[in-house]
Amino acid sequence: MATVTNNPALRRKAVRARLRTLGFLSPWLVGFTVFFGYPLVATVYFSFMHYNQIETPTFVGLRNWRYVFEQMPLFGPALWNTLWLVVVMVALRVVFGLGIGLLVTKVKAGVGFFRTAFYLPYLAPPVAATVAFVFLLNPGTGPVNDILGKIGISAPNWFNDPAWAKPSLVLLSLWGIGDLMVIFMAALLDVPKDQYEAAELDGAGALHKFRYVTWPSITPIVMFAVVTGVVQTMQYYTQALVAGKLASGVSIGPGSVIQPGYPDHSTLTVPQLVYSLGFQNFNTGAACVLSLVLFAIAMAVTTLLMRRRAGLLSAED
Amino acid sequence: MTATTTLTAPSAPVRPRARRSPAPAARRRAALHWIAVHTVALAAALFFLLPFVFVFLTAVMSDSQAMSGDLWPTEWHWSNYADVFRTPGFLDWWRNSLMYAVLGTLFTLCSSIPVAYALAKFRFRGRRTAMLLVISTMMLPPQVIVVPMYLVWAQQFHLSGSLWPLIIPMAFGDAYSIFLLRQFLLTIPREYLESARVDGCGELRTLLRIIIPMAKPGIAAVALFQFFYCWNDYFGPQIYAAQNPGAWTLSYGLESFKSAHSVNWNLTMAATLLVMAPVIIVFFFAQKAFVEGVTLTGVKG
Amino acid sequence: MPPRLAVLASVLGAGALLLSGCANPSTGSATDDPAKPVTLKFWHGWSEKNEVKAIDASIARFEKLHPNIKVKVTGNVTDATLNQALRAGGGDAPDVASSFTTNNVGQYCSSGMWADLDPFMKKTGLDKNKVFPKTLLDYTSYDGDQCALPLLADAYGMYYNKDAFREAGISRPPRTMSELKRDAVKLTKRTKSGGYERVGFMPNFRLYQNSPDRFFAQWGPTYFDKGGKARLAKDKATKEFFATTRDLAKSQGGYGPLEKFRTSFGDEMSSQNAFLTGKLAIHMDGEWRGLFMKGAKFRWGTAPLPVPDDQPETYGRGYLTGTVIGIGHSSTHQNAAWELVKFLSADTDQVVSFANAIHNVPSTKAALTSPKLDPDPTFRAFLDIAQNRYSTALPASINGGQYVVSLQDFSYGVEEGKEPDLDKGLKELDKEIDADNLQARN
Repeated sequence: MATVTNNPALRRKAVRARLRTLGFLSPWLVGFTVFFGYPLVATVYFSFMHYNQIETPTFVGLRNWRYVFEQMPLFGPALWNTLWLVVVMVALRVVFGLGIGLLVTKVKAGVGFFRTAFYLPYLAPPVAATVAFVFLLNPGTGPVNDILGKIGISAPNWFNDPAWAKPSLVLLSLWGIGDLMVIFMAALLDVPKDQYEAAELDGAGALHKFRYVTWPSITPIVMFAVVTGVVQTMQYYTQALVAGKLASGVSIGPGSVIQPGYPDHSTLTVPQLVYSLGFQNFNTGAACVLSLVLFAIAMAVTTLLMRRRAGLLSAED
Repeated sequence: MTATTTLTAPSAPVRPRARRSPAPAARRRAALHWIAVHTVALAAALFFLLPFVFVFLTAVMSDSQAMSGDLWPTEWHWSNYADVFRTPGFLDWWRNSLMYAVLGTLFTLCSSIPVAYALAKFRFRGRRTAMLLVISTMMLPPQVIVVPMYLVWAQQFHLSGSLWPLIIPMAFGDAYSIFLLRQFLLTIPREYLESARVDGCGELRTLLRIIIPMAKPGIAAVALFQFFYCWNDYFGPQIYAAQNPGAWTLSYGLESFKSAHSVNWNLTMAATLLVMAPVIIVFFFAQKAFVEGVTLTGVKG
Repeated sequence: MPPRLAVLASVLGAGALLLSGCANPSTGSATDDPAKPVTLKFWHGWSEKNEVKAIDASIARFEKLHPNIKVKVTGNVTDATLNQALRAGGGDAPDVASSFTTNNVGQYCSSGMWADLDPFMKKTGLDKNKVFPKTLLDYTSYDGDQCALPLLADAYGMYYNKDAFREAGISRPPRTMSELKRDAVKLTKRTKSGGYERVGFMPNFRLYQNSPDRFFAQWGPTYFDKGGKARLAKDKATKEFFATTRDLAKSQGGYGPLEKFRTSFGDEMSSQNAFLTGKLAIHMDGEWRGLFMKGAKFRWGTAPLPVPDDQPETYGRGYLTGTVIGIGHSSTHQNAAWELVKFLSADTDQVVSFANAIHNVPSTKAALTSPKLDPDPTFRAFLDIAQNRYSTALPASINGGQYVVSLQDFSYGVEEGKEPDLDKGLKELDKEIDADNLQARN
């Protein structure tokens, strides 16, 4: 589809336009190559090498791959936890976010106060929020169990109970629902009012109104929230790691090691395992194998979601 | 009803029936609805705000009381906050977080704006591919590329133990910022560009003189997002700055605060509040930019 | 399309360039003149105020003896930090470093990360076998490579609450595991709501210093056979160890309630330490704990930990470990660095005063028998443990003691009740340890 032209002036202009485009894009082009393309190639390279970052790397073929898939007992739990979090956390966040967004649109008195109150926790830095929650949900000294005990409810051990650690992380993520609330709020307010009136005149109840008026209008936003939620949760790292470290109460002292994914590997996610293998055990090869697994999963999920036209590419293209 | 009335029904917006004052039953239903909504809202507000209250209360407790599970401090140790500031390294963490966030945001803006502009306004072959690549980079977990990148920074450039390996790449564009800026720039009508071109402005001049002033809300929002991304970043400093306590950021330092300094929950909560506070304070001053930013994140789908 | 090809080409080109250079971290040299002026970088892991004061005083003493050498000290350095810095190399890596994790010595030696010290000892006429006890030399070397020297040692024993003992009618500390169980039950006080006021002896592996390998040392296990393969399943001591710890937990209320109580404990090194606040009657800890007992509101004593009923003659033994010190491979002032290492680890007066200051076990034969050592009987008990012939240290490992982590993981499962078939579990543990060790080799 080359522009067929015999006019040298026009051709020069086209070349200049091409160069200009390249110029404006150059920072990103360089960045993409150096900080994305190269590491990807290198990761594949190192996945076949034994390298402890001191001695020169040696080629070991598929040994790292076999190690990760067959001999590493943490691989299964890490995969399972990441999957669990992606499904449960995203679903609950979207539902809860929608609910809170709806609530805010219905509140009449003190809308400003409620909106700010609901949004505030989202602003807390993830590490700070996690530290706060680990303290609040501490089974021995935390206020939550204290209050629940006074009401007579036997409370679980939250971050210290393998069955409750992930739900506690989900609770933490629901606390920070502010970003989804604002998106859904905007979407809900965007629904054309006259459609509501028409439905009312036809005698529709609240449920009907939601199903036939609200939902079709906000579906793109919901899809967007789901896609971004899945992408974020696949990388879920900080809160799980910090919660595990703090809740285990193991102090950093002489010769102490932190069990990854306390309690009982229940909070271990695949990204954490990459860090542990690469930066604590210095098992570069296995870490790279795991990175590639993570990459494959991310790519698969992304293509799946993109196929359903989640609307990330703007219409004007 | 006669046939004629039904034929005219669809287009009539105002009917006398709608104007009559609601029956007492409907009014009671509306009141109950109001109570229900506001009760739920209050309960939700408690859920969202109580953690802050408890953190604050614990932060002023004494050492032993913080371990006891009491809810209300018997003594008010305001000195706990001073103790946190005096903890070795705390001020360093502040300085490092600030430097990382400020430089990171600056570099990101300088590099991402031209790219976003090109992707939004230039017509060229491969634009779709480029956009797809940007989006795919956004979807990429950072842990995928971290191992080889760390090796390069540490062994080739000897920059591990500092925050530079995190700041320098931001001078080459940040996918998320590029995406958001592009979305925003798309909304600037072509007419402004055309008139600038007619006036003889080159593309660079157009960008600087016309586009950027018009895009101020979008740029502010992206700047805010990037600032807080750097401020909240834990993984990056853990990889690159962990080996040098002088380079720790607030996020990283807070995580190890309790055990590295053998403190108890009261001081840890005080430190937590001191880390949360700046973000919340900035929010109250920059609310508009926050809201703009959220609208940018794809409500236009 | 040309743009795509260009991108691909640049990626491959950059990749080739970077990969070719990436595998050679800077190497150091041992050709410097130790009498010339030089600044050394010394990293250590101590962070408590009095410990930092003591190490700074030691450095000051060294600088007085060697006025041409200035030492820049960095404290509170974790082993992870040290590991990363030494692997990255470059100007920021330390010349001399000390580490609490003896498990890493195998890795430091076999990879060359810490320099071999034998040539330096020969150069300056230091006979290591005459100066240092054998056990200490064992955990500072690997496969014939002595890449570290002991910098004070740690011995683990029992701290007990004398007032609580008196209250429960116990006359002397328990010497066997059965006596321990009997006493622990007597000392445990529960509250009406099912919690605890005090626990006799909490065996939970996540508590402070209760890493399973430490208590396990009381059984004198053999982790590896002559070929280097793990033999935890074969050694009957392993099963007895887990049986004892599970029994201890059950008889004092069960793992669940004990764990819940544990999560309410204060930070180990703070004023809210559970033993210091009377929540634990008997507690396993190292000899340094004595220094932190100043605020205790009760009378306390120290003794060796109990031994299995069928090994009464080994009473007096304990788990040994210590701080190790070495020279970073990337240092370009290794001879000067050796002077610092030699001073800190082998100079008798220095070792004695440092040991007294931070309440650690001295690490040279001469220092152990020095009359200048702190005569406090609670401290002496640990010196005796250190010199008991049945006391053991962990066997060396090539991958940073990964087997200890695996053992810890397994032990957490056992105490939670997740390992119904102990035999099968131990066999799998052995297999896992062997696989990890194989992965660490070239």
